[in-house]
Amino acid sequence: MLPEERELALNPIVQESVQHNKRTLLNTRNMTASLFGVAAGTLGLESYPGFLFYAVLSVLVSALVHFVAADGRPERYFYRPGRELWAGEVLGPLSSYVLTWTLFYGLVRA
Amino acid sequence: MAPPVAQTIHRDPALFYWILLPITVVMIFTGILRHYAQTLLQSGPKKQPVRLLRQQRSLMRGVNLRTNANVLSPSSFQTRKAYLVSAFQDGAFLADPENRGKPRGNPMSDPAMMEGMMGGMKANVAMMVPQTLIMGWINAFFSGFVISAFAPARLVKLPFPLTPQFKSMLQSGVGTRDLDVRWVSSMSWYFLTLFGLQPVYTFILGNNNAASQVTQQMAQMNPGAGMMGPDQDPDKLFLSEAENLEVVEHRWILDGVEDRLLARSK
Repeated sequence: MLPEERELALNPIVQESVQHNKRTLLNTRNMTASLFGVAAGTLGLESYPGFLFYAVLSVLVSALVHFVAADGRPERYFYRPGRELWAGEVLGPLSSYVLTWTLFYGLVRA
Repeated sequence: MAPPVAQTIHRDPALFYWILLPITVVMIFTGILRHYAQTLLQSGPKKQPVRLLRQQRSLMRGVNLRTNANVLSPSSFQTRKAYLVSAFQDGAFLADPENRGKPRGNPMSDPAMMEGMMGGMKANVAMMVPQTLIMGWINAFFSGFVISAFAPARLVKLPFPLTPQFKSMLQSGVGTRDLDVRWVSSMSWYFLTLFGLQPVYTFILGNNNAASQVTQQMAQMNPGAGMMGPDQDPDKLFLSEAENLEVVEHRWILDGVEDRLLARSK
């Protein structure tokens, strides 16, 4: 038997926990994306600075999850932290960011 | 062409309350409605005869034994394996022992398959119909702002620029032609909310909700998760499973556990 299979047999990956972690991360991303949209709209950011704002802040959120929530050891919670924590879901949170951004941009800028 | 001037148009604030908010509220509620409608419309699992169930479950038992073999002690694993292999080869779990050697009948004549396919199509219809309804409604009510009571003709300014090709789609119902693309009509607000509210649905309805578009598309791609059994000859399935069981190499995970425990507590 291969060493990785042996390792997996000894320390199994529980599917339920993996899904729970993924869901928590996705929820966090969505909520913060909406709030960042509010901020961007209120600040009156336009096209490129607006998306840059989103990119920077979502990296900030990932860093916060990495250092504060996962105590600097994300491999305990995620199977492949690089792929899931840093480069995870983009389309869902981006669309809610754009939604609240447009809403508040229209509201505030009048 | 003249350089595009920054166009700021004075907008009646009442416009905002009467259009943006109703559309958003309606979309949230129809999403929730769609979720509950689909949950209620779902027919439960069909009651199957005992022999069919036993056939399917015993096959699953063989697969489970193979997957989790290493958790069992060697003697326990060997006992189960011997029993299952002999039972599979004798066809003790078959639903239809007389039809053992014959080829399978036409799948379309099997009523169980039709039920499965109809269930999938019902889900699709339940998703498409409300969307088209809402689009039609919005088109009817919220179009043609130039002639409406509110002075300005457009709704919301998009914070980011789009190519001119989007103009015809997003500014339907607005009279002027050379309006900057960034000013969009209510139809585009509909599209924005369509995509942007999916995280909200996930948050409100929990995962596995029927209002989220992404899960819909994924469900369309896995239609036959439970329908593989009747398609293939169960006898062949049993025999192949018996062969797979024979070749399993058993490495008990408690092998050497004393060393691992001591190493960890060092």
